[in-house]
Amino acid sequence: MATTSSKSSPLAAQPGQKGIDPRGPRFGAAITTVLLAVTVVLALIGPSVVAGTTLAQRLADPAFWLLGVITVLFAWGAFGGIQSHPYGKFFRAVIAPRLGKPHELENPKPPTFAQLIGFVISLVGLVLALIGVPYGLFVAAAFAFVAAFLNSVFGYCLGCQIYVLLARAGIVGRGGKTA
Amino acid sequence: MDTWIVVGILAGLVIVATVIGLVARSRAGRVQEVRGFRVVRAVDLDTDEPFGSAATFVQFSTEMCSRCPATKALLVRTAKERKGVQHIEVDITHRPDIAASFNVLQTPTTLVLDNIGAIAARIGGAPRPEAVRTALEIALRRDHGNYVI
Repeated sequence: MATTSSKSSPLAAQPGQKGIDPRGPRFGAAITTVLLAVTVVLALIGPSVVAGTTLAQRLADPAFWLLGVITVLFAWGAFGGIQSHPYGKFFRAVIAPRLGKPHELENPKPPTFAQLIGFVISLVGLVLALIGVPYGLFVAAAFAFVAAFLNSVFGYCLGCQIYVLLARAGIVGRGGKTA
Repeated sequence: MDTWIVVGILAGLVIVATVIGLVARSRAGRVQEVRGFRVVRAVDLDTDEPFGSAATFVQFSTEMCSRCPATKALLVRTAKERKGVQHIEVDITHRPDIAASFNVLQTPTTLVLDNIGAIAARIGGAPRPEAVRTALEIALRRDHGNYVI
């Protein structure tokens, strides 16, 4: 994904790449925040916080299925690109025309990376729930909830901050590869 | 689980997230004066862009940084207001060595260098225009005439 760009302007928009309205990802994060809040509540009142459940009980947990839907939506944004995400399409079709033009456009890469972080966290929650680790689903949903809340309410992109630390540790970025 | 415990946990999460958000917001873009005498050379940044004769903004960015383009626009605009002030952007996405040597933990991070290239101020996060002007004033008023080497 990463390309070797010229030294004079390393982060200039790539030719043909269009910036996105930064309010789009925040709108999507607001929906995700609400869905994750419901997941947290369902997790706390469901079988995922109890030890010694059967696989059938764990599979019948509505919190498990709701987090599954959220995980698929994160995967859509992370691998299909934030622009193709259904929330983004809804924002452009219904919300954006009522708001007026944005002050600035942003690079779609950071919110796309944040979707990947969300995908990984919620996937970990699903796996922990499936193998029956008590509170695993709750903890993952709680982390994702805090991140989505920060994104929607404060415009603070936790995933983008994590990217800097990963790049610095040499885990992503080096050699032109991306996560 | 008891309903009130569930409500309490959810409220707790909202409070934790709000506190993190408020702390991040208040810390972002704050100017720190740097009193040391660390001179930054072009080779340290792997750049061929010219340094300013009066002051230089060195902005560290990554590809995954949503606020870097807006910060770049602000710094470039501020640099143009003064004579001898330059802006250099360093993409650390593929350069963890540069990120480590300047202890960059978030992007954008901006260093303001004085006329001889020594770090005078540092801004972590996206700054407001007043913060950029404050940092630039710190760099411009530094005087190295009295050092005995």
